[in-house]
Amino acid sequence: MDAGVRIALEDVSYSFGKGALEKQILFDISTRIDGGEIVILTGPSGSGKTTLLTLIGALRSAQKGGVKVLGQELLNAREKTLIKVRRQIGYIFQSHNLLDSLTIHQNVQMALQLGGVKSRDGKDRIDTVLRRVGLGEYEHKYPGELSGGQKQRAGIARALVNRPQIVLADEPTASLDKQSGRDVVELIQDLAREDGSAVILVTHDNRILDVADRILHLEDGHMKSLSEVVSEDASRMLNLLEKHDPNSANYLATFSFALARIAYADGEVSDSERDEMRRILHEVAKLEAAEVEFIMEMSMMQKRAMSGMDNRIMNPAFDNDRAEHFLNSMYAIAQADGISTSEELVEIAAIAAEFGLTPNGNSESG
Amino acid sequence: MFGSIPLGWLQLKAQKLRLVAAIMGITFAVILIFVQLEFREALFVSAVRYHTAMDYDLAMLSPKTDFMVSSKQFPRARLYQTLGFDGVESATAVYMRLVSWRNPVDPSNARNILAIGFDPSEPGFERLLSAEGVEAIKIPDQVIFDRRGRDEYGPVRELLDAGRPVSAEINDRRVDIAGMYEVGTSFGLDGGIITSDLNFLRLLPTREKSAIDFGLIKLEPGQDAVEVLARIREAIPMDVRLLTRQEFMDLEIQYWNKTTPIGYIFAFGAVMGLIVGLIIVYQILFADVQDHLKEYATLKAMGYTHGYLRNVVLQEAVILAVLGFLPGLGIAHLVFTKGADATRLPLEMSVQSALGVFALTVAMCAGSGMMALRKLRAVDPAEVF
Repeated sequence: MDAGVRIALEDVSYSFGKGALEKQILFDISTRIDGGEIVILTGPSGSGKTTLLTLIGALRSAQKGGVKVLGQELLNAREKTLIKVRRQIGYIFQSHNLLDSLTIHQNVQMALQLGGVKSRDGKDRIDTVLRRVGLGEYEHKYPGELSGGQKQRAGIARALVNRPQIVLADEPTASLDKQSGRDVVELIQDLAREDGSAVILVTHDNRILDVADRILHLEDGHMKSLSEVVSEDASRMLNLLEKHDPNSANYLATFSFALARIAYADGEVSDSERDEMRRILHEVAKLEAAEVEFIMEMSMMQKRAMSGMDNRIMNPAFDNDRAEHFLNSMYAIAQADGISTSEELVEIAAIAAEFGLTPNGNSESG
Repeated sequence: MFGSIPLGWLQLKAQKLRLVAAIMGITFAVILIFVQLEFREALFVSAVRYHTAMDYDLAMLSPKTDFMVSSKQFPRARLYQTLGFDGVESATAVYMRLVSWRNPVDPSNARNILAIGFDPSEPGFERLLSAEGVEAIKIPDQVIFDRRGRDEYGPVRELLDAGRPVSAEINDRRVDIAGMYEVGTSFGLDGGIITSDLNFLRLLPTREKSAIDFGLIKLEPGQDAVEVLARIREAIPMDVRLLTRQEFMDLEIQYWNKTTPIGYIFAFGAVMGLIVGLIIVYQILFADVQDHLKEYATLKAMGYTHGYLRNVVLQEAVILAVLGFLPGLGIAHLVFTKGADATRLPLEMSVQSALGVFALTVAMCAGSGMMALRKLRAVDPAEVF
């Protein structure tokens, strides 16, 4: 299947209400999603991610900006256009939303008959898609007779039976336990990859973020950078740890500091070396798996800074702006206590040299 | 066959208890409508039993006569005047009056009965009386009795059938029952006797022979009743009323339907049945739509149109109509069979009225469906996420 642009958003804004009660939900959202791409949309409740999903899904018509879905402009689109686009999208819902009075087979058929599929092919396609989601045996059961995970898989079968070019999933794991949730997400991932669909997955569930090719984060209707999001989350969590279990916080911090110095001292660390480190941390240091991952990531952060030192000529983390911002802020910090001493200035010059940055001197006046 | 999914039926079927309740409700409404309409129909059919049984093309009556049983008199000369017009073959004077009948077995029991008198040498009663009957009433104080009158008149039918002579006291005059004819009861009439004009006047000595209640005019074959009527109407004074056969019946039906509350009550009953059905079906469909709002929103999100959902609800309405109508039809039929025996009223369900009630039931269910649809308009596909 063609891996071209499936969704193009350009400065999309959206408001609810009119006049004095108008409340803007989305502010100038722009992005582009291609076929075969899995994009996770995250953000706290009320951030506007559901609204964005309904705009992309042609469930409401856009008010401002460009919303192009499958080549169809949805800005102020008419109901007829919206319905046409809806039929080309597979929707997966938070709580499966199957029709209770229909069997699993009939539920999938409801989606298929919209696609105008002929009789003989239809039965085969339903059987195939149900087998793909592992529900081959359950086709004549009613949703009430299935477990939560099975129902969600039936919902996925319904969404995918028409081989849609776009799949929109809203919290597909919200009502599932950890393992079923994981299975469901991986199923969506596999099937979407096979069909070359663009997938947008809205979730609160941090455990499934790794299936994404790209993560979009919304907050109060604005698109935020990933680094902002990660920093915010990580610092908040570290703060919490510091507050409630300062001993463990210290222990883990010390471990990661030491690990960065010892294990990464010789420069490169191979994957097999990392696995060995994980094993040792787990078995010798008696740390839980999640704690091991945390220490690994913390030390990796420092390792990344050090590897920057090795690439003095071309450090990709620092483009011109960032280099300037970095140094300016260093000088400002030195100035923060009222006076920048010569020791501080020497130290900054040393750091700049280590990371291959050129101080431009302007910042000294301040 | 891999056709499209009958979603409406599947949704109804999924809620068995609700489906049964809905069907019972509609069945009840159908029976109510049937019974009321059928009683109303019986009222009209029975009210014109004599109008139908007598043989005439034009009827003459007093303008003050509202309905048959309480007829007012008019001059017999007016009737005979019509004989002078082209196309008129014969004119029969008819006397009519409620008289007091004493039960021949239990004479303390008196009851009103309709007495009809006419000149046996004139035509008009061939369908009511046999030739022997006509001969019999020529003899003084002999009358013919309606065998389908109510039982309160005494076991006249049984006695005569057993070959025993029966005599009864009418208006304190003893008469012999010389035979029987067959017409039946109506809402204003429990039974009747037919006799000659002379015998009639013997029973009612205060009545003038020249003042008659009805005149039956028979036209020569091939004459147009309306045309002859117009000619006569133009020529004779307006102190009498001249009607065609159909107008004569309509006058009677009109009286029972409009002037008495009886026709209204039955029509009202039928409307009540309709409203009860409407409310029941509306409740059921409304609850059904309410329960499925989320599913309908999902279908809309998938790309189904509002029209599709509307058809689902209407499909449910029509299914309920059919499932509720059939048992209603069966039970109503049973009620009529029993009711006809008990009341001697013409309670017969015609195919036409069955079809009519079915159409009414479908309309009732579809109407409720339409009301329930308003809820459907609130379905916003954007609510599914």
